[in-house]
Amino acid sequence: MNQDAAPPLPTALSVSDRKSEFVPVSGGQETTSAVGLLLTAYVLMWAVVFGFVWLTAGKQKRLDARLRHVEKALARLDETSSEP
Amino acid sequence: MSVASSTTSSGGRLTAGPAWAFGLLAATFGFAYHLWFIFTKTPEAQAAAGGFAQKIFYFHVPAAYALYLSGVVCFVASCLYLVRPTNARDAWGKAGAETAVVFGLMVLTSGPLWAKKAWGVYWTWDPRLTTLLLSVLLYVAMVLLRRFTGDGNAERRFAAAFGVLGTTILPIIHYSVRLWGGNHPTVVTKGGGGLGSPAMSQALGMGFFTMTALAVVLLLLRARLALSDSRLREAEELAYGLGVLGADDEAP
Repeated sequence: MNQDAAPPLPTALSVSDRKSEFVPVSGGQETTSAVGLLLTAYVLMWAVVFGFVWLTAGKQKRLDARLRHVEKALARLDETSSEP
Repeated sequence: MSVASSTTSSGGRLTAGPAWAFGLLAATFGFAYHLWFIFTKTPEAQAAAGGFAQKIFYFHVPAAYALYLSGVVCFVASCLYLVRPTNARDAWGKAGAETAVVFGLMVLTSGPLWAKKAWGVYWTWDPRLTTLLLSVLLYVAMVLLRRFTGDGNAERRFAAAFGVLGTTILPIIHYSVRLWGGNHPTVVTKGGGGLGSPAMSQALGMGFFTMTALAVVLLLLRARLALSDSRLREAEELAYGLGVLGADDEAP
């Protein structure tokens, strides 16, 4: 047996291991990049939702105003046509 | 029947009701509690899963589920529209596609940021990522089609066909990891090791509940908008036809 052989490398999780389970750890190091990525993800996700709701509310308001205007005009026609 | 009331006969109305109130309340309080729970009760995952960045998971997966939910609404409404067209069916199909795009964007923005930490890259042409992107692009195509090609019956039917097609891809997204492997985790599906802490499972469960509530709210908002749009088009058509509206009455 070759005594000069390099020591085995520290074992790392294989692709199949790391994709099949989440294991909680205690006292794990929080890196700045992880916090940054997490915050960016949350901010972007909620920006998408709030932006969508804001655009929807604005469009609904414009449509309602226009619909009221058109229906009023039609109602006036009803009134004038029903007069003797 | 009066002229004014005739404009509402086929357009339908969708007003605020119990589902709307429940969805709004559940989404607001649910998300506040969910966020608090994620950051105070849920343990950090192992480094290989992204460590602290793994907390993206509690919104990422429920958003993907909400995408499926919106896709199913789009699919059912589109199928029904193709069988018998009505404004309501068209509105729900349109709302389903639009909401699916929103949840798709949530998944596609949160996923790469988590992947950067867990995999070292923002994007890889993994089967699940690729099929999800394809599905979202189909819904985007449906939304753009409706936005820029008018609101005629032919356009509506074509968009409904798109809605059916977009949703047939959803099962492929779900089973792509099992069928073709890839990097994407299979933690909570068959063959996965599960979540190593009960708090992780609870946080995920809460995510599913609150994202369902958000999906209900968004679907109601967009269906209501689409119905109002249909009613307005009918009313305008009638009003211009009768000469009630002039050239100076421009649409918004």
